[in-house]
Amino acid sequence: MRQAQPAHEPSWGWSGDEPLVRGMAEEAVELAQVRGAEYADARVVEVEEERFYATLTGDPDCRREHSLGIGVRVLLQGRWGFGARAHGDHPFHLDAAEAAIRMAGSSPAGVAAAWSPRPAELGEYRTAVGEDPFSVPLSRKEAILAQLLAAARARREIVDAMAGVNAKRQRRYFLSSEGSWQVQHLVECGGAYQVWAAKDGELQRRSYPNSFHGNTGAAGWEYVESLKLAEQAPRVVEEACALLTAPPCPGGVADVIIGPAMTALQIHESCGHALELDRILGDEAGFAGTSFIGAGDVGLLRYGSPAVTIVADPTRPGNRGSFGFDDEGVSARRAVLIDQGVVANFLSSRETGARIGRESTAAMRADGWQYMPLCFSTHVGLEPGSGSLDELLERLGDGYYLDMDRSWSIDNQRLNFQFGTEIAVEVRHGRRGRLLKNASYGGVTPEFWRKVEHVAGPAEARVFGLPCGKGEPKQWGFVSHTGIPMLVRGVLMGVAG
Amino acid sequence: MKDDLLQLRGADQLLGRVAEALQAMEMPGEGFITSRLGEYTRFAGDRIHQPQAIEECQLMVRAAGAHGGARAGTTRLESAAAAGREASRLARGLTVLGGGRQALARPGQRVDTSSLWHQGTLDFTAPARAALAARAIHDAGVVGATACGMFSRVVIELAVGNSEGVALYTRATEASFSVLVRRDEGSGYRGDLVRDVCTVEPERFIEGAVADAVLSGHPEPLAPGSYDVVLGPLAVGDMIGFFGSLGFTGDALAAGHGPVAQRRGVRVADDMITVRDDAGRPTGLPIPFDLEGVAKQNVTMLDQGRIGDAVLDLGTATTLGRQSTGHAHIGREEAPAPTPANLMLEPGDASVAELVAGVDRGVYLSRFWYTRLVDGEQSSITGVSRDAAFRIRDGALGPPVANGRFTEQVFGALSRADGVGKDLVSQPIPNVWNGCVTAPALRVRGFHLGFR
Repeated sequence: MRQAQPAHEPSWGWSGDEPLVRGMAEEAVELAQVRGAEYADARVVEVEEERFYATLTGDPDCRREHSLGIGVRVLLQGRWGFGARAHGDHPFHLDAAEAAIRMAGSSPAGVAAAWSPRPAELGEYRTAVGEDPFSVPLSRKEAILAQLLAAARARREIVDAMAGVNAKRQRRYFLSSEGSWQVQHLVECGGAYQVWAAKDGELQRRSYPNSFHGNTGAAGWEYVESLKLAEQAPRVVEEACALLTAPPCPGGVADVIIGPAMTALQIHESCGHALELDRILGDEAGFAGTSFIGAGDVGLLRYGSPAVTIVADPTRPGNRGSFGFDDEGVSARRAVLIDQGVVANFLSSRETGARIGRESTAAMRADGWQYMPLCFSTHVGLEPGSGSLDELLERLGDGYYLDMDRSWSIDNQRLNFQFGTEIAVEVRHGRRGRLLKNASYGGVTPEFWRKVEHVAGPAEARVFGLPCGKGEPKQWGFVSHTGIPMLVRGVLMGVAG
Repeated sequence: MKDDLLQLRGADQLLGRVAEALQAMEMPGEGFITSRLGEYTRFAGDRIHQPQAIEECQLMVRAAGAHGGARAGTTRLESAAAAGREASRLARGLTVLGGGRQALARPGQRVDTSSLWHQGTLDFTAPARAALAARAIHDAGVVGATACGMFSRVVIELAVGNSEGVALYTRATEASFSVLVRRDEGSGYRGDLVRDVCTVEPERFIEGAVADAVLSGHPEPLAPGSYDVVLGPLAVGDMIGFFGSLGFTGDALAAGHGPVAQRRGVRVADDMITVRDDAGRPTGLPIPFDLEGVAKQNVTMLDQGRIGDAVLDLGTATTLGRQSTGHAHIGREEAPAPTPANLMLEPGDASVAELVAGVDRGVYLSRFWYTRLVDGEQSSITGVSRDAAFRIRDGALGPPVANGRFTEQVFGALSRADGVGKDLVSQPIPNVWNGCVTAPALRVRGFHLGFR
C-alpha cells in the first residue's frame, strides 16, 4: 500500500532512521513477551505541528511543536495494560513496556479480553504531498494572515477576527508480536478564518471554511491554497455584518436544507460517535457515554430514510481521516455503516469486533504515542444522491437553508441533539431570500435522519476535517466527514430560544 | 519495585532545560515545562479494561522578537536548545503582523507550594485502585447493576523560567475518582478531583452511585417547562466552568465585550453567589504560578452577585495597562489566552437535603453533560442532564425522572438561586492544563428544562 509521494521527502525529526526505530519497537515488544505477555504492540510516533494564527486584538500564535515517544500495549493473561513514555535519556521504550506490564498485572484476573490472533500485516503508507507545507516560508503564511485581517478591518463592526494556517507531519511506526510492521508518513494542513461583528449589544460570527478549527486535509500546501481564503474573506466579513441586522430565524416546525458543513457535524456527532463499538459495548460509559444503537441492531434498526447511506472509508486519500493502518495494525478498509437508512456496521476494533463476532473496521485510533487507542471515526461520509443545490432548493419549496455550526450539544447516548447555525437563509418557492440569524434546530437522532427526503449529488459534496475528543485521559481524534446538502422535512426549529 | 511516579525530574533538571532553551534563543523570552506522570485505572462492566501508565511532558519556549513572538515546543527535553533556536528563528521570520508582547514576568515573586504534595495520593497505587474498581464492580453486581469509571493518581511538575531571571518550580500530586453505576434505565455517578486522596472517602462514592442507580430506575418522562431545581455540585460546576467563555477574561475585556467590559459592578446574580478563580485554596487543584511565571492571584468574578473582574495574562495585562493575574494558558489546538483554571463557586451552609426541603414541586439534577455555549452575550448555554434525576415533592426526593435537554442563561439561573450547598466537589475543566472547577449544590427557581 503506497500513495504517491514527493520526489524528496524533507528531512526532519529524529525517527527517520527506520531500522533504528524498528529495533527499538522490537526490543519493547520482546521485553513485554519476556515478562509474560501473550500479545504486545508498540507504536513509535513522531509528530511536528506548526500553527500560525493571528487575531485583530492579541499576539500572533506562531508555534512549532514536536513530540516523540512510544506507546506499548500488552495483553497479559487476558488483561490489557498500556504504558507510554516520551523519548528521553533513559531506555524509554523499555520503560514503557515495563509500565504496560505492570499496569496489566495490577488488574485482577477475570474475564479475558476477546482476542484472537491475526495474520501479520506489513506495509507503508504516505500522504500524497505536492508542496511540503513545512517548507513554505513563514513570510508567505504571514502574508495570507495579514490579508485576511485587513479584510476584517475594512468594516468597523468587526470587533475581532482570527486567521490561521496549520500543518502537521507524522511518522507512525507500528510493530506487533504477531509480526506486523507498518510505517506511515502522514502530512496534513489547513486554514481557518473567523470574524466577529458587534453592534448594539449584538455579537455575530461568520467562519470559513468551517467554524470549528477551520478545515484541514491530508495533503500538501496546495490544499491551503485550494481554500482560497483571501478570496472568501470579504464575503465572510459582509455576512457577519449583515447578520447584525438580520431578523431572527423563526421557531416552529419547518422543512430545511442542511448545508454541507452542518451535515458533516451532524454525521460526526449523531452517526460517527453513535456507531463507535466501544461506546455501544459500554467501555466508554463512564465518560463519553454509550449509544442508542445496540450491538444487535445490524440489519434491523432503521436509523434513517432510504436516502441515507453513510460510509466509513479511510482508504480515500486526501482526508484527515485517511490512513493506511489503524493504531492496532489493521489495514484501512471501506465499511458501509448505514445502508439506505439501516444500520449495517460499526466503527470497531479487533477486540470490540470479536466481542460481537465481527471483523474490525480499522477504527482503532490514538492521538500520538501517549494514548491508548480507542474507536474513533475515520473518514465517514454521506453518500451522494442526485442533483444540484439549486435543484434541492426547488424541491424544498418553502423553508430554510442552514449551515455552519454555532453551537452543538448531544446527549451521552447520541440521541437528543441541539445545534445552532451561523447562518440561515429563508427559502421561498425554491429561491433564496433573506439572511436570518440565530437559527437552531434539534431533535432525536433516528427521527431526524428518517426525515431526510433527498441528498444532493456528488458535485455538492464537501469534506471537512476536524478534531474531536474521547477517552480518559482525554485524547484528541482527527477525523473527516463528507457533508452534502440534504433536504429534511419537519424539523423542530428555534429550540435555543 | 520502584514507583514510576517518583521518578521525578526535579527542579534542577527542569529549570536547567528551560535555561538551555532560553540561552539558545539569543533574544528575550520565556519557557516552561509541564510534566504529568499519571496512572489511570479505567474499568467497565466486569473488568479493568484500560489500565494505563502515561507520561505527558512538554517544554515550550517563546522568543519575544521585535516583530512578534514565536514559540517552539518539544516533548524531547534533551532538545531544549534546539527548541530555543527554533523559537527565535520563527520570531525573526515575522515581519508583518507585529503585536509581539515584550513583557515578561519579574523575578522575586513569593510562591507557596506547601499544600501540593501528599503521600496519601502517592500510596494510591495500581493495586489499591484495582481493589477499589473491583469493589465498585462487586457492589454494583450485588444489586444487579454494572459499574464503570476511573481512578487515577498523577504527579505533575511545572518549571517556568525567563530571560529576566524568573526560575520557578513546583510539583504536585493529583488524584481523580469517577464511578458510574447503571441498572435498567437508572444510573448514579460520583466523582471528585483532589490533590490529597486522604480528603475523600472513595467507598462513599461507590455507595452513593449504587444507591442512585437503584433509586433512579424506571424514570418517568418530564414535560418541558420551568422547574424549581436543586442542582448537584457537578451540575453547578459544569455551569460555572463557562465563566471563561462568558467573557471574564482579559482578551474579552480588551476587545470591549463581555460582562466585565460592559457591566462591571452590575448585579446579575443573587448576593449569595460569589465566583472566584482562586488557585491558592487547597480544594481542587491549587497551583502557585502560571505558565508565564506569574504568581496566581485570587480573582473575584462575581462578588456577591455583582460582576467583578477578569483573569489576565501578561499579554492582555499589557494591553489593559494592568498587572497579570497569573492566568496565562496555552492549549493544544488553541490560541494562548488568559484562562480561569481554578474556578470556585463559594459554598453556603446548606446540605443537599436542606436545599431539597425548600422545594415543594421541582426536580433534582445530579449533573450535566455536553454543555455548550449558545450565546455568550446572553450567557446562554445548552446541555443535557445525565444520571440520577428525581422529582422533588413536598421537600423530599420523589420518583426518578428521565434526563433531557436544558437551555438556560447562566446569569439568569444564578439570579434565581436561593440556596447554596456546603459540600464542594471538583471536576476537571476540559482542555485546560491543571484546570479544575469546584462547586457546591445550588437551588435555582424557574430553571428551564426541554427545548426552548
